[in-house]
Order: sequence, then C-alpha cells, then structure tokens
Amino acid sequence: MSLIISAIGQGLLWAVIGVGLYLTFRILDFPDMTVEGTFPMGAATAVTAIAHGYSPIIATIMAFLVGCLAGLVTGLLYTKAKIPVLLAGILVMTASYSIDLRIMGKPNQSLLGLPTLLNGHFFQSLPPYFDSVALGLIIIVIVTIVLVYFLQTDLGQAFIATGDNENMAESLGINTDNMKIMGVSVSNGLIALGGALVAQNNGYSDVNMGIGIIVVALASIIIGEVVFGDLTMVQRLIAVTIGSIIYRLVLLLVLQLGFNATDLNLISSVLLAIFMGVPALEKKFHLKHVLKRGLKNHD
Amino acid sequence: MKRLYSVIIVLFLILAFGYYKEKQPVKISRDHIPQIGILQLTEHPALDAIHHGIIQGLKESGFQPGKNIKIDFQNAENDQSNLKTMSTKFANENVDLSIGIATPSAQVLANTVKNRPLVLGAITDPKSAGLVNSNQKPGRNTTGVSDLPPMKQQLDLIKQIMPNMKTLGVIYTSSDDSATSQYKKFTEICKQEGIKVKGYSIANTNDLNQVATQMVQNVDAVYVPNDNTVASAIQTLVAVANKRNVPIFPTASNVVKNGGIATYGLNQFKLGVETGKVTAKIIHGENASEMPIQTLKHGDLALNLNQARKLGIHIPQPLIQKAERQGVIYK
Repeated sequence: MSLIISAIGQGLLWAVIGVGLYLTFRILDFPDMTVEGTFPMGAATAVTAIAHGYSPIIATIMAFLVGCLAGLVTGLLYTKAKIPVLLAGILVMTASYSIDLRIMGKPNQSLLGLPTLLNGHFFQSLPPYFDSVALGLIIIVIVTIVLVYFLQTDLGQAFIATGDNENMAESLGINTDNMKIMGVSVSNGLIALGGALVAQNNGYSDVNMGIGIIVVALASIIIGEVVFGDLTMVQRLIAVTIGSIIYRLVLLLVLQLGFNATDLNLISSVLLAIFMGVPALEKKFHLKHVLKRGLKNHD
Repeated sequence: MKRLYSVIIVLFLILAFGYYKEKQPVKISRDHIPQIGILQLTEHPALDAIHHGIIQGLKESGFQPGKNIKIDFQNAENDQSNLKTMSTKFANENVDLSIGIATPSAQVLANTVKNRPLVLGAITDPKSAGLVNSNQKPGRNTTGVSDLPPMKQQLDLIKQIMPNMKTLGVIYTSSDDSATSQYKKFTEICKQEGIKVKGYSIANTNDLNQVATQMVQNVDAVYVPNDNTVASAIQTLVAVANKRNVPIFPTASNVVKNGGIATYGLNQFKLGVETGKVTAKIIHGENASEMPIQTLKHGDLALNLNQARKLGIHIPQPLIQKAERQGVIYK
C-alpha cells in the first residue's frame, strides 16, 4: 500500500514538470530541450540556497525564478537570434551544466539534516509517504489554478492563439515573439520548480540528475492524452497530472513484477511508444470496429 | 471527461484508504531472518565489483544469502526517480539494514529508510556528501567503507619514480563528486610535500583529448584520481601523454595495465568485501553510529615496465622486486 502512496506522491511532484513542458510542447507546439538543463538547475538553486540558510520556501521560489531566466535565454535565442528552437534549447541545456557546478560549487550537494519544504509541522504530522502526496497536491493545485486563470485572460488567449496559428495571431496584432519568450520562460520556471521539489523529496541535488527528464515529462502528457481522449484545455492540464501518476504506478508495477533493472530504460521507452502508437494503430486497423464486430458475431 | 473524473475519484479513494492504513501502527515480527536492501546507482564494472564483494564479505562472516539472510538488490540504472521508488520499496519491506553503492543512492536511502542502519559502499567522502557527522564518529546510524585511494602512498610512489618532478597535473571530471573531492584532497597532500599541482577538469570524454594535450605541455607527470569518465577513455589520455613522454600515475591497477606507469591501486572487490564485513558486524548488533568510516590504507602495487621503457623512465630496482613479491607487473 505504502508503495502505491509513494508512487502517487512522486507522480504529483513530477506532474509539475509535465505541466511545465505542456506549455511549450503542446500549446506552443515545439520541443524544448532546455528542460534537461533547467530541472537540475532548479534542484541546484534550491538545495544551495537552503544550505546557505535561506528558508525552503524562498529557496523554492528562487529555483522557479532561475528556471524562468534560463527559459528566457532560450526564448531570446530562438526568437531574436533566430536559432532553431531545438538547438537553442540544447545550447542552454549544455551551458546549464557549468552553471549548476558554479551554483553548487561541487557536483553533488546533500540536504541531510537541513530543513526542506517537507520538514514543516503539518507534513511531519502526516502518516509516512503522505508528506510528498500533500506537498505535490498543494503545489500542483496552485500551479493548475494559476495557469487556468492565466489562460483565460487576454494575454493567455493570445498565447494559445500563437501556438494554434502563428500567422493568424500576428494578423490580429499579437506579438508572437513575446508570447513564445513568455511561454518558454514560464515553462522552464515550472520545470525548475519541479526540480527543486524532487531534490527536496530525495534529499540532494546532483549535476547529473537532468538526464532523461524530457522522457518522464513527455510520458505524463502523452499518457494523459491517450487515456482520456478529447478534453477541454483545463481538463487537459488535469489529465497531465493524472498521466504522471499513472506513469509512476505502471513503473512501480514493472518493478514489482521483478523485471531486471537493466531493462528499465527499455521498458519505459516501450511503454511510451505503446501509448503514443496505439491511437494511430487503432485508427488504421479499426481495432474498435473489429472488436465490436467480433463480439457481435459471437452472439 | 467522465473517465477523467472517475480516475480522480478512484485515486482519492486509494489515498483515503492508504491514509487510514498508514495511521495504524506497524507490527514488526522479530523472528524473521535479517533482510538487507542493496541499492546501486548504475551498472558499472567498479560498482558491480563492490556489489559482488559485499556478498562475498557477508558469506565470509557466515551469512549465506537465501539461507540465513535475505538480500533485495536494486539497480537504479542512473535514473534519479528510480532511486526514490526503490528506497521506498526497502522502507516498505522493513529491511533491517540498507546498503547504498555510490553517493546518490546512499543519500536517497538516508532520506527514505529512516531509523534503520545504513552502510555506505564506496562513498569517497561521506562527510562532504552530508551522510555522516564526521568520518571518525558518524552518528546517524550510518557507517561504511570509503573508496578514498591511499593518496599519500601513491604520491610517495610518484616521487620515488620521478625524483626530479616539479609540476604534477591532475585530470578529473567536474561532474563526478568523488573525483572532485579526491582532487581537492590530493592538492592538499601535495602542498604539504611541496609539489606544485595543476588541475584540469573535463565535462565528458569528448573534452579529454584537447584538455589533455594542453595539460601535458605544462606538467612533468599526470595523476588520475578514481574517475569513471577518465578511466573509460584512458586510451585517449595515454596516446596524448605518450607523444610528450609524460608518465601517467592512475589510482586503479587496471588503468596501469592500459598505459599507466605505476600505482598502489585499490581493489574494488576488496572494498566490497570490507563493506560486507561491516554489514555483518551491524547485523550482529554493533552500533553503526559508533563505527568509524573505514578506508584501505594500503593498495596493491602495480607496475607497467613496458610503458616505463617506452617513455624512458627508470623504475628503481627495489620497487620492481616489491611488485614481484606482492603485486602485479605488466611487461
């Protein structure tokens, strides 16, 4: 039971990263590689700030702001310097490695014995594993509400329009460059926030912790979409969070079944490929249709 | 849409049920055989050797896995989120003791499996990793074996072979916590001995060629800490250094074999065996927080005479005799 609770807690914390990537990957419709750099950067910033005596709340906010800054650089490189977005992201991701080392002063910084967001009186009074569930729930609810509110403002609508159809948005007088810069900044701020939360939950930050983050974030988006189908924008944001939890539960199942850990990366990729491929295959082979007909014939 | 809301409701029901269950006090029966959780960061020859050593050390202390001890071995394959899931699994299984191989695994374990002894397998500097209060008196129910190489002994060896050496270059990977802290410690030791050290760091193996080319122009010899990244590209370093006849003094014997000159090398398997013995002591009831972190003071001498001949370096006869008696010579 506690394993399931822990998986849900982790799913909620990682959902922040999924929601962050959703802004660029789905709304703006471009792949942002910066996330593999901003995730450890958020972790490094928060952990170092805590180690220097800042309160965990301030440290977490600092992580968000640093992430925004890194995203801003990617956005500027992409819109102003006209560097292709994939490359701009990779450039910032690569640079973040050196920056993380400078921030922490060493490759690995521990939080043991230091206060974290999870040390609060409220979190400590909860049964085991519910601390991360509660923290994840609080943060993801706040993030979702703020984003939903924002997406309904004029600015938010302009942001969505930019992703939907750039030419049309421009003809309506929307500064699409600014929209993209804003989107990448906020997205990376959220991913750094996620890094800060995960680091506090794990008890350390490590300069290598960004490897593979984009797969995890994509997993929550895609699982959410495939499982729940057509949804409104607000529901989609919620579906990302549920997708992140489902991903964790499936991984837990795989681990519990006793699969060799060597195969874990392969298994996660296969899982993702299945989730991404099923809708297309279903369409192609009319699976639903065939199934229904098969049942009918059986009657 | 309906599906979304029903899944959310199901999740909350699970949470509510879990909340109710976790509130109940846990009953632990004490008559079971000791259970140990081993968490390894990733698959790697050195880490694997430690893992096998631990099993061997436990066997030597009378614990047969599967018979009078149960071992749950998990390998996170370098994925930081796996570390947490696997540690939670240990906590959930109520393991009597957990062993972390490599720093991040130990850090997650310390943060997840609380109130149970934690044994550190091959963590270079537990104090700076924040795992213990001090390496002499760890506290926090944590102890273990450090893979800090016998640097003083290694430096003496370098001085013996290179009596006229003025500047020593050290090359290490900046993202490797263990290698970085070895570089810092080694610099201190050299300072006491009056030897000038120049540090060169790389981000990954692709940097090695260029950084090494620059390094060999400025130094008389090269010291390579226990660094997985440099070790995996040692051929590149050897090729660059050979062009300028600069000898390489690594910390691991297998690197000597691949083009280093000499070292007092740490044996990872032996480290694992020691870790296994420490673990056995704790199962027998010793207090982990009172046991100092162990280091191996002496390594095994390894010489590469072929390489020395190539670079025109004379290795003193007593050393060769010593290596012949107890150590390895590559000819």
